[in-house]
Amino acid sequence: MIDELEFIRIVRDELSLPLADPDLDADLDQVVHWESVHVVRLVVALEKETGRRVPVSRMLTERTLRGIYEAVVKA
Amino acid sequence: MTTLEQHSNTPPAAAGPLDRLRALHADGALAREYASLPALLAQIPADRDGFAELRRIGLLLERLDPEEVAEHGAAAGAPVETFTVAVVGHSTLTSLYAALTAEFARHGTLLRTVKGGFDSYLRDLQDTASPLYSPGVKLALCLLDPEVVFDEVAQAWTAEDVEAAARAKLAQLDRLVQRYTERGGAHLVLNTVPLQRAHTHRFVDYRSRAALGIAWREFNAGLLRLAARYPGVSVIDLDPLLADAGPVNDPRLSLYAKAHLGDELLSRYAREVGHLAQALRGRTKKALVVDLDNTLWDGVLGDDGPDGVAAAGTLRGEAFGRFQQVVKHLGSQGVVLAVSSKNDQDAVLRALQENPDMVLREPDFARINANWAPKDANLRDLAAGLNLGLDSFVFADDSPFETGLVAASLPQVAVVQLDDEPAWHVGRLLADGWFDTLAITDEDRARGGLYRAEAARQVLLENTDSPEEYLRELGITVTVARVLERDVPRVSQLTLRTNQFNLTTLRLQPEEVRARAEDPQQLVLAVRSADRFGDNGTVGAIFARRSGDTLHIDNVLLSCRVFSRGIEQAALSALLRHAAATGLAKAEGVYRPSPKNANFRGFYAAQGFEPVAEPGGEAARLVFRRGLAAPPAVPEHIRLDSELEGPNR
Repeated sequence: MIDELEFIRIVRDELSLPLADPDLDADLDQVVHWESVHVVRLVVALEKETGRRVPVSRMLTERTLRGIYEAVVKA
Repeated sequence: MTTLEQHSNTPPAAAGPLDRLRALHADGALAREYASLPALLAQIPADRDGFAELRRIGLLLERLDPEEVAEHGAAAGAPVETFTVAVVGHSTLTSLYAALTAEFARHGTLLRTVKGGFDSYLRDLQDTASPLYSPGVKLALCLLDPEVVFDEVAQAWTAEDVEAAARAKLAQLDRLVQRYTERGGAHLVLNTVPLQRAHTHRFVDYRSRAALGIAWREFNAGLLRLAARYPGVSVIDLDPLLADAGPVNDPRLSLYAKAHLGDELLSRYAREVGHLAQALRGRTKKALVVDLDNTLWDGVLGDDGPDGVAAAGTLRGEAFGRFQQVVKHLGSQGVVLAVSSKNDQDAVLRALQENPDMVLREPDFARINANWAPKDANLRDLAAGLNLGLDSFVFADDSPFETGLVAASLPQVAVVQLDDEPAWHVGRLLADGWFDTLAITDEDRARGGLYRAEAARQVLLENTDSPEEYLRELGITVTVARVLERDVPRVSQLTLRTNQFNLTTLRLQPEEVRARAEDPQQLVLAVRSADRFGDNGTVGAIFARRSGDTLHIDNVLLSCRVFSRGIEQAALSALLRHAAATGLAKAEGVYRPSPKNANFRGFYAAQGFEPVAEPGGEAARLVFRRGLAAPPAVPEHIRLDSELEGPNR
């Protein structure tokens, strides 16, 4: 299973987002360059990385990157 | 604010292009280093991982401020060229923008995009206020996907329903494309649309699947025919791209993010678009230089001898034979072929003449440089000998040492890295559309012979005592005539491909040449030349127009194959005599400097024109004027055959 740093790397790699520390807990609307499409892209990338299915529908309701991370870890 | 970048475990020593770009980005140096991107990005292979890396790089580059890039370029004395592309479509195209940005960066160009709204392609094609019609747009991309048809059919559709919907959609697109070609200013790009198993296998019966397959292919064939019907339209066939890229999309990205075309497919499409833009700008590469040992044939000539190297008869040999066929095929379409090999010239010639395996023979090559000098020096020598710019060259070699040397020493040369598996050679050579062009002409098909005649001229030059004697011996004939329909493709190509003797670098697509040729106030001339070694074909063109008592010369072009023979003087003389004979009093010519045409800055002055100050005119533009009382003479050694009214001599 991936850890938080690994998760951050994947977000950065896949979306090329200039993430800052507070971004992990900020509402996604506040993250610079964030678009709703990114959630789906991230899910696809996380699956590739972890080899496990990640339910897209649950991710779509998360409002922070940390929420997405925790949902992936629990998946 | 601390960025999370510092937490990340970046790979250390072997930092790839993406990591180096991230480092530049973190240092705020990416805009300044834009000119160095082509060399960096050229290292990324054309495979799935490579395209993914380029897309990520594109995401970074998209965030650069174009003005900042432009300022750095200007400050460094190397302006970064920009190219504006409008993109409209039917689905989410976010990753296409990133891929396009990276592809244009590979060519050293800064991409500006004008984006249409989501699923707005029909309205955008129709509405002259849409992004597709924005001024400055050079390429207009209209991205079609399978849903453009499937959105139009009712639930539980039949193959007949899809056929009817596809036919209606094609008719609608036809009307819109026609409208765009009449009113839009850019080259329009459409694409074929892939059919997926998730479509065909909604049918349980084979008959319906087959009927759907037929209807679908007719739709795609109809799309491809639009390019034949309308000048200024290209259709990129996604099927061959998909054969390498698959799958068409990720169902979740398609359903939840409306990204009906997947990342890798869009990346491969973007690569095609990058080369199409190069072709539109006259940057098509002209020459392919190949190594020999383990590039064209299996084995090492120095060890195995001219009869020991193989390009047939063995499994590996056949792979090289296949590669030779592809190289020859490129040659048959006008790509100038040359050899750079570390071998003895005699042994190379013997292998090319006598080894029965060879598909490529000595006459297929315009030049064969077999020697022990470094390959960058040989490429310079080939460029000088063929009178082509180094940026017109593609170099293919299996040795990473040689490709690395050329890439480092001559960054303007496109490098194709081959390796010890010849089965990959063809794919590697064709991975980039370096030689892509909108259409080829009779001159292209004959180019191999033209360069062979050039070699014979070289022998004559070496055996005559003076340049004057050489020119007399050549027995040059120059024919000047108004451009007819049959000349249009070649004359357009001259404007697009000629960089050196192109006095204003006015690039014209065939339809623009045709429009000028049909205008009675304009004079568009094709210049042909021939000599004792053969016909050179259409080697030049002149664009002029009448206004009052003045002949305005908008551009003069001459192919680099026939420089320094007085052909341009003869053609200009014919034009000026014609102008005088038809009542004009003076002629004005314009020179607009480009990075390539400095050698011909003095052309008008040498023909008796005087520079004219143009108050308030464009700073870089130089205007020259002369009277027509005594037009310049045709050089002694040339026989002029002018079809224009006016004396021939």
